[in-house]
Amino acid sequence: MLTVTNLLKAYDGHPVLTIPDLTFPPGIHYFRGSNGSGKTTFLRVVAGLLPFSGRIQLAQTYDIRQQPVDYRLRVNYAEAEPRYPDFLTARDLATFVANAKRAPAGQVNQLADLLGVSAFWTQPTRTFSSGMLKKLSLLLAWLGHPSLVLLDEPLTTLDVETAGRLFDFIQERVRQGVSVWLTSHQDITLTGLPLTASWQVSNGTISPIDHDPAV
Amino acid sequence: MTRLFNRLFIQPFYEQNAGSLLVVTLLAFGFMRPMDHEALITAALGSPLLLGLVFLLWGLYTLKAITFIIARLNDPTHLFLTAFRLVSRANRWLVWSAVLIGLLLPVLGYAGWMLARAVHYDQWFALNGIIGFLIGLVVVGVSVVDYRLRHPAPDRFRLPRPAFRLPYLLFFPTYWLRHEPLSLLLTKGCSGLLLIGVCRLYPTDEYDERLLLIGLLLSVLFQASVPRQLSQFEGRYLPLLDNLPYSVNRRFGQYMVLYGLLWLPELGLLMRNRPDAVSIGYIALLWLTGWGWLGLLHAFTYGRDVDPNRWLAILFAGFILGLLTIMAGLPVVVWGLLGWGVALVYTQLRSLPLNVTS
Repeated sequence: MLTVTNLLKAYDGHPVLTIPDLTFPPGIHYFRGSNGSGKTTFLRVVAGLLPFSGRIQLAQTYDIRQQPVDYRLRVNYAEAEPRYPDFLTARDLATFVANAKRAPAGQVNQLADLLGVSAFWTQPTRTFSSGMLKKLSLLLAWLGHPSLVLLDEPLTTLDVETAGRLFDFIQERVRQGVSVWLTSHQDITLTGLPLTASWQVSNGTISPIDHDPAV
Repeated sequence: MTRLFNRLFIQPFYEQNAGSLLVVTLLAFGFMRPMDHEALITAALGSPLLLGLVFLLWGLYTLKAITFIIARLNDPTHLFLTAFRLVSRANRWLVWSAVLIGLLLPVLGYAGWMLARAVHYDQWFALNGIIGFLIGLVVVGVSVVDYRLRHPAPDRFRLPRPAFRLPYLLFFPTYWLRHEPLSLLLTKGCSGLLLIGVCRLYPTDEYDERLLLIGLLLSVLFQASVPRQLSQFEGRYLPLLDNLPYSVNRRFGQYMVLYGLLWLPELGLLMRNRPDAVSIGYIALLWLTGWGWLGLLHAFTYGRDVDPNRWLAILFAGFILGLLTIMAGLPVVVWGLLGWGVALVYTQLRSLPLNVTS
């Protein structure tokens, strides 16, 4: 599904993440680790938001550098703490991202209904609560035809009803072949999501958690 | 505390306004000789009207500094500053005064020169006026920013939001207008006035087109902070842009359309004030050249943390080099090709954000 080779991510010359060689099979992957362990950095690197050295390849075909457009068409990302220009509405942002990600007709409305974004569709984001911002970021992360969706702390600030609908939707999309990577400080087993693998992010690297009861 | 406030307010202010401050310095000390300043200061000290004009300029600059501080206080990333309210009023005023004085250094420097001449010429009324006005600027500035700190009400007044679906092309212009209106006004106003001034300088039959190129150079320098403002805006609020499936060329094209939109008012001003001896074709070429050079500034600065001192030095060196090559007769076509060509090639080389490495 996704292969990471010789990845080195450094801030101001100090390495924060070193991954010699890792292959992630399709499915739902859960990344755990303490604050500042590098979970968000890793997801942001995979999303193409942060510079790094090394190689990332999706489905043995789409290299993040060699096929940057094709790669970004297939890898979507939802931030842990989303922030948007306060004068823009959910409609402005969703329309913009949907066009860029080549979303099929009707997808935006479907996701807006699913995540409850329709209720504040034309309000500027400065009036949003953190939960509303989270819903909008989750909506943007599912636009287009992603093969891999990176959800950084999707449970934070999300209300229980919306979280339930999101988990059902994730399961449905995973059955259709989409992979989902999650980070969370909450107990992920409560979501009922069938995890493919769990990963520990610590000491500047990522390693599989064998015999994780959540899997 | 003053060190923190220096990093929060003073450093970013000079960083953001490096281009416009450089142009003002070049105009004030490049084209005017020290003896011209002496004459101007002597005249201002003896004329309340002229002194009033100087005060007006200083007041505008102070307004810019105050709005900068208020914009920072309203920024969600600076919400932690609300804790500063817990500090005693006397200490708050001391810190704010240090910040204001730091921001008003260019004004204070020139005022110091004027005060020295006032003493020399025994102009005590003007001297008292200048000292009083400077104290007034600092006191008013401190009062306003401290009031804003104690009354955080960013929702009190806002420009109405457009009712239509806002396209990406208008994201940054809208942000600029709503969040940094004075910066927009001063940047575009000064750039436009410069071009109008150069066009009307010698509207004779034998107009030297090199003057227009110098005006263009200064006008572009005035806008040198715009790519940095755009970069900060998108880095802060739209990191998702880097995850969008756009090719390098498409990204470059989108930004060039945006700069074309921002640079459009200058086309109208150039056409309207075109000297008789200058053809419409030349004006169009001149405008295209400025557009390309804005793109070049974008290619060099977008997504980068450039040290403000280094940035100022680069702009200054660029101005000197530009001035020399213009005076040597380098035609506008070459300038245009250089701007567009280097911007395009350098964008391909950087390939942001697609070929990024740590």
